[in-house]
Amino acid sequence: MMPNSLGRNLFIPLTLFLVIAFLIGPFLIIVAASFSAGDTLAFPPQGFSLRWIAKVFTVESFRASFGMSLFLAIGGTAAALVLGIPASYALSRYKLPGAEVIRTVVSAPIIVPGIIVGLALLRYIVVPFGVGISLALFLAHTALVLPYAVRVVSASLDNLRSDIEEAAVLLGSSRTGAFFRVVLPNIRGGILSAFILGFVTSFNQVPVSLFLSGPGVRTLPIDMIAYMEIVFDPSVAALSALLAFLSIGIVFAAERFLGFSRYV
Amino acid sequence: MFQNRAEALALALPAAIFAAAVFLVPVLILLSDGFRNPVVDGVGGGWTLSAFTDFFSSSLNQTVFLRTLRLGAIVTVVSAVIGYAAAFAIVSLDPVAKGRVTGLVVLPLMISPVARTYAWIVILGRTGIVNQAFQALGITQAPLRILFSETAIFIGLLQLFLPLMIISLISALENMPKDAIPAARVLGANWFQVFWKVVLPLTREGLVIGGTLVFTGSLTAYITPAILGGSKVLMLETLMYQQVAVSSNFVAASVIAFILIVMSFAANILLKRVATARNKVRAAA
Amino acid sequence: MSDQAYLSLEKLTLAYGDSVAVADLDLDIRRGELIALLGPSGCGKTTTMRAIAGLLPVRSGHVRLDGADITHVSPNKRAVGLVFQSYALFPHLSVYENVAFGLRLKGLRGTELDAKVQSGIKSVGLSSFANRRPAELSGGQQQRVALARSMVMEPKVLLLDEPLSNLDARLRLEMRTELQRVQKETGVTMIFVTHDQAEALALADRIVVMKRGAIEQIGSPQDIYNRPQSSFVADFVGFENVFALEGGKLKAAGSLFELQGEAPSAAGLAWRPRMVSLGTGPFRGTVRGTSFAGDHREYLLDTPLGLIKAEVEASQPVHDLGTELAFDLPAHKAVPLSQFS
Repeated sequence: MMPNSLGRNLFIPLTLFLVIAFLIGPFLIIVAASFSAGDTLAFPPQGFSLRWIAKVFTVESFRASFGMSLFLAIGGTAAALVLGIPASYALSRYKLPGAEVIRTVVSAPIIVPGIIVGLALLRYIVVPFGVGISLALFLAHTALVLPYAVRVVSASLDNLRSDIEEAAVLLGSSRTGAFFRVVLPNIRGGILSAFILGFVTSFNQVPVSLFLSGPGVRTLPIDMIAYMEIVFDPSVAALSALLAFLSIGIVFAAERFLGFSRYV
Repeated sequence: MFQNRAEALALALPAAIFAAAVFLVPVLILLSDGFRNPVVDGVGGGWTLSAFTDFFSSSLNQTVFLRTLRLGAIVTVVSAVIGYAAAFAIVSLDPVAKGRVTGLVVLPLMISPVARTYAWIVILGRTGIVNQAFQALGITQAPLRILFSETAIFIGLLQLFLPLMIISLISALENMPKDAIPAARVLGANWFQVFWKVVLPLTREGLVIGGTLVFTGSLTAYITPAILGGSKVLMLETLMYQQVAVSSNFVAASVIAFILIVMSFAANILLKRVATARNKVRAAA
Repeated sequence: MSDQAYLSLEKLTLAYGDSVAVADLDLDIRRGELIALLGPSGCGKTTTMRAIAGLLPVRSGHVRLDGADITHVSPNKRAVGLVFQSYALFPHLSVYENVAFGLRLKGLRGTELDAKVQSGIKSVGLSSFANRRPAELSGGQQQRVALARSMVMEPKVLLLDEPLSNLDARLRLEMRTELQRVQKETGVTMIFVTHDQAEALALADRIVVMKRGAIEQIGSPQDIYNRPQSSFVADFVGFENVFALEGGKLKAAGSLFELQGEAPSAAGLAWRPRMVSLGTGPFRGTVRGTSFAGDHREYLLDTPLGLIKAEVEASQPVHDLGTELAFDLPAHKAVPLSQFS
């Protein structure tokens, strides 16, 4: 795209350097800041220590909210898959009247801003039906992950020939048996990818959970924001860095072993 | 393709009913609240637009509304400009390097937005890197107030959503006929003309997809304006949160929710139309 | 071969939603026959095959197999095998496990299972590929796995969907031989669906030609090839010159034409290109196109009857484009058609 090779030689590395520095730099700064020995968040870090990283593990509320977020990410994603896999299967294998309506309804939570979903749930599920905050969070995160589950699982079902099910049936398998024997093993990669995508989405989700917090019931990101407002020490940086490495590690492993990006 | 309707419904309905009950119905009721007279002591109810006129008569709300639109638009345009440069640079790399750089671009998407936004406090704060550098270089005497401003929100949103634009443009550039640029050059187009007459039309769809993602993302981001804008520089999402958490004004919150949804849908439809209008032209040609 | 029907379709009607694909179809097939269902796409041949397999519910009518009414028997209990056009191998299973799939469901285990699987794989010559995944095999090998997978189940009827269409010319001949061998060795009743007349003629004992959801003609390959009964079948098996007959005269391009010699009484007459005599005769036409085809030469003539396709031996002198030629459609060579459409 550059008029001459000199321009081209400079343009490409320079652009890439600036863009990547802008995208990744802040994250590296967080990582560096979490090794600071000082009492306040600062860069360059004052000295070197592991005290803030150690502190993350001792803050009681972090432990509780981490547990909550983990529960929501795993449980919500699992529930979304339990609902989403049969729905995806029906949408891809059957001639279903109103298929588009169903597809729209299950994918809708992705379009609507999370804060609205959270508030709607608070006002019209939690309050009128006396639903507990934990359960409401679970429902919200399930609904939030459902569109991803349906999208990713549908994609891997669409890549799988449907006549292998007929072949299985003609070899003596029942319809249900054919699903478990020949469909499920072949969409395993898609399901695992959906799980990872759902897990990361749910774990990092903030707006949905904003209004859904009660005494002692909070997701980790909400807890981090609340903590930041009171204490400005590097422990949130340390926690952010740890979580980021966790996410990156999971996604990297998924890409390595599943070819994650094929499905997402 | 199976034909058993009952079976299909039995498989699909649980998910649909769940999404409808937990998501669709509550959200629709919430949105309808914005159009209702509040019921006080059993009196009231009925449909009205007064909440909307009230909302827009406040100059604070107007400011927030316009700021949200403005930030959405600016972030989209700037990310498109940077996105084209970055996407061009990336597609010109050899496959291995391309994979790695694409990985680095996507990487931030995996990191919690809280962590990503939080980093900007360290960079843009009173004693942050930018202010340290400016003072060390003698550009400014006293620390600049960058944090809790529109600029800070803009930077945060740009960093949050730029990867989506770059990814969309990379795939658009890769799907572009390989010889289009050399062909245009041979026909005597300069680089500006090549971009404007060849690259832009051929990658319009990718631009539209990226643009929709960035614009609606910026519109509906909560964490970035909450952390980098503080309680004074509000966007619609943070205003909505304040209306509920501080003022307990649920009707105003419903109005904002409605506006946010209308804006996202309008952006989606508008941009989709831009993309399909072009397809029709191509199909007719 | 007994005359009694082994598989019979009685007044079979099949439909997708409101559109009827096959209407009131009757067909009897004897045990051990190799039948081809031949027709253009959309003629209902695949639909019929799927109904025999039980993959498509029957709207009305009956399917009987080996003395039992299987119309409403579910496909996993029919003892009908199907080799899919795409082979439909299970991508996550090895060749061995693909072949073992149905046997395991039957409850076979241990050495009995192993023996059957091994002999099945061996019979299609893939013993050294037993541990491969389908993706690591060529198309021809995949098809043989699919064949073995169906055959180890010892089906009463084996259905094959366009078994040769995905193969290149060399493999086609190989597979054709393979299918004939399997049929001879096991005596299984085979029905295969094809849109390719050459395939049907080469392979089948009997050919069922289908058109728009109904049977147009049933007969031996020789019957179908030499004595098509309708203009549709004639056209399908290479009679390029097909005309309606009205009062002993040819009806073409809106006019009637007298034939030399006595025309048989029929609804129409058909000539293959090589049945047309060039050089003499009552008709005249202009050479519009000509092409050399090895041992013969093809001509396309523009005539008052419309376009006529003729074929002569390549050793004959060449007629240039634009030449006016006399030609004849000899009545004694014409194949009479009882149906003209």
